[in-house]
Amino acid sequence: MIQATEPVVSVSGVSKRYGATRALRDVSLELRAGEIFGLIGTNGAGKSTLINVLSGVTRPTSGGIRMRGRAVELSGPLDAQDAGVQTVHQNIDDGVVFGTTVAENLTLDSLARRGAGWFTTRARTREAARGVAEAARLSVPLDAPVETLPASARQQIVIARALSRSPRLLILDEPTSTLSATESGALLAAVRRMAVGGVAVLFVSHRLSEIQDLCDRVAVLRDGTIQQVFTTPVDGRSLVRAMLGDEIAAMAHRARPVDGAGPILTAEGIRTRPGAEPFDLRVSPGEVLGVTGLIGSGKTELLEQIYGERPLVSGALRLAGSPYRPRDPRAAIKAGVGFVAEERAAQATLPGWSVRAHVTLPRLRAHSRSGLLSRTAETASARRVIERFGVRGPGPDAGIEALSGGNQQKVVVGRWMEEEFRLMLLDEPFRGVDVGARADISRVLREISATTGVVVASSDPQEVLQVADRVLVLYEGTVTGELRTGEVTAERLAALMAGEGR
Amino acid sequence: MTATAKSPAGEAAPVAALDRAASIGYRYGLLAVLAVMVVVFSLARPAFGTFGNALIVLQSVAIVAVVALGVTVSMAAGGFDLSAGANVGFVVMVTASAMVRFNLTGATAIVAGLLAGLLVAGVNVLLIVVAKVPDLVATLGTMFLFQGLALIITSGQSVSAGMTADGVTAPGRFTSGFVWLGAGTIASVPVPVIVMLVLAAAAYVFLGHTRWGRALYAIGGNPRASRLAGIRVDRYRALAYAVSGLCAAVGGILLSARLGRGDVGAGDPYLLQSVAAALIGFAVLGANRPNALGTLVGAVFVGVMISGLTMLNAPYYTQTFVQGALLVGSLVMSYTLTPGRRR
Repeated sequence: MIQATEPVVSVSGVSKRYGATRALRDVSLELRAGEIFGLIGTNGAGKSTLINVLSGVTRPTSGGIRMRGRAVELSGPLDAQDAGVQTVHQNIDDGVVFGTTVAENLTLDSLARRGAGWFTTRARTREAARGVAEAARLSVPLDAPVETLPASARQQIVIARALSRSPRLLILDEPTSTLSATESGALLAAVRRMAVGGVAVLFVSHRLSEIQDLCDRVAVLRDGTIQQVFTTPVDGRSLVRAMLGDEIAAMAHRARPVDGAGPILTAEGIRTRPGAEPFDLRVSPGEVLGVTGLIGSGKTELLEQIYGERPLVSGALRLAGSPYRPRDPRAAIKAGVGFVAEERAAQATLPGWSVRAHVTLPRLRAHSRSGLLSRTAETASARRVIERFGVRGPGPDAGIEALSGGNQQKVVVGRWMEEEFRLMLLDEPFRGVDVGARADISRVLREISATTGVVVASSDPQEVLQVADRVLVLYEGTVTGELRTGEVTAERLAALMAGEGR
Repeated sequence: MTATAKSPAGEAAPVAALDRAASIGYRYGLLAVLAVMVVVFSLARPAFGTFGNALIVLQSVAIVAVVALGVTVSMAAGGFDLSAGANVGFVVMVTASAMVRFNLTGATAIVAGLLAGLLVAGVNVLLIVVAKVPDLVATLGTMFLFQGLALIITSGQSVSAGMTADGVTAPGRFTSGFVWLGAGTIASVPVPVIVMLVLAAAAYVFLGHTRWGRALYAIGGNPRASRLAGIRVDRYRALAYAVSGLCAAVGGILLSARLGRGDVGAGDPYLLQSVAAALIGFAVLGANRPNALGTLVGAVFVGVMISGLTMLNAPYYTQTFVQGALLVGSLVMSYTLTPGRRR
């Protein structure tokens, strides 16, 4: 029945280049009315670019889009809206205006429209809003200020407003990433109702279970191309394999035997988040522990707990045999634990600061005598990092912005390479880092792992396998398995990342 | 941008030269203008270019500079202390009352003044660090609070020797030691100038060369990255406001000593002037951030300009406008003309 209808949207042969990189290569898709179409892929696979092309934010380098059979040229978000495409972005708060009521948010469009009149009255706004709310089955008090509502309700408002423009295609970009399980359930039910109402839904998510539950078909994007389109029922393992590719095992080096010395970090009964299953953890000298899992599987939560950036959910930690429970990052550093955060610009670099100052920031005391900073000591430390990692740039006094992303990453990783650190935690250390810098960082991490505990987390298992001897796999907050690098096969890894094979 | 060998490509040379000129202009522009101003004023009015007049100019900016140094420290940590002026006024009233109404010694008055400054800082810290109120509005609140409190403790009147309060003639007066702080000299240099120079040197070392100063700047640059690098952000922000409060208190003590009485609203002009000095300081030596040397230069710059214009018989009521123009000019310099700025 669905198959018989003409596609609402058809994307044919769309490619997008940014300079030398090809974000999308020859992507073709068809979405039919009433269909929920899943889109999944790792970071940098091209999901955002595809969404941007469909919502008129970027124009494809080649290829075309047809809406209900008619070719359309989307040269801006308004064009896309006129053509019947509505996009609900991941960051919900971009879609609501704080300081106004639900009713005002639901009728926001009329403010920008010509002929809306100079004055809005409360009654008229409410009237219009009630219609929108009823159509979307929204059960939020219309007079409530938006900022008093939970995230899920704000999102319902954004979706209701999108629906009020009667779209033919609704794009939901990771709509459940900030919602709790119950809230997600409610949202998914709402998405099904919309589809029954005849809207085509493009549902982008990292959560396999949602994709499996909800979608009629799922496209897997990798390196800018559609790898495979699955039809329901979707097998999670095959989905993950398609996302990750097959080269996994070939990349891995052999795991080293762990020497008999005592573990650096042991954890008992810890959890990534409340409600997840508890597990134990052990990091020994002589090995690099990898942590992988799809985005949102709890890697960052795990590392940040060990670093004291968030409170321990449960269980206990021991560092080199003694009890360890840092109350903030400073306490972790004092105990000899270092951390490289996931987002370099937001969490590690300081605009306008020199390489030297970035290197010494976590260890200012070691570079000063009675409070006075020693420029000589600072420069020496910076030079050591530059030399050890082969940082290419104008030298220790150059601003960090003068370095490429990969070289910046070498600096923020390298500043922890001091003897006093017994445990290094690295969250997505290879994101946005070129192959050369990746190799340099991996080399040093493997070197220091002889005496230091090293934990590397990444949602790309290939990156983890490049350095790790042992890999812990997380799925939706829970550990699903542990593999030694020699034993890793694409099949097993995919199964664990899809939450199977426990 | 830094020292490079001559560029090999012929056509790149003029561009590089232009770049270098822009960079030099950006670094030394404000100092050059200051020097030119001094020369021009001295040529026009020979009395301007004397040592004696230099001391007068410095004395006229000493209190502003002291307060501005505190503002600079709070700005370095990414904050903004709008309560600095109110703090000065509050301290003036506290020190004056201590001596005049309670007949206390000058030393006690100084201690009371410093404690009063710390009290203001304490309220700021409570609001900003504990209650998480944004800096700008929190210190705005504190400003009103202490302007009001200064009025309450003196029943809204000025405090001077021989005043009557509650039907009783006040027993005390400003002690001579205290007045010396405002009018005295050491080796013919006015005491406020010496205080200013000492505090400026201390702030210069503290901000630029100690790990505590580095941590403050780090917080001002990226608080999240600072926390993850092990800096206790809350403590340093509290420290920054404490320093700011103490500097304002020192400014208040100097002002009280100079006035020899506690005038209602005496501290009010000091907020805008000290903020202006600190902001002008961004443009000194291309620092493009709050810094002690820049703040000192900024304060002196304003002083030289006003004193010179006064000698050239410019009416006093043009002063505010001149300061405003100066501030706008240096803001454009540090925000718009920054070499290699990104946007």
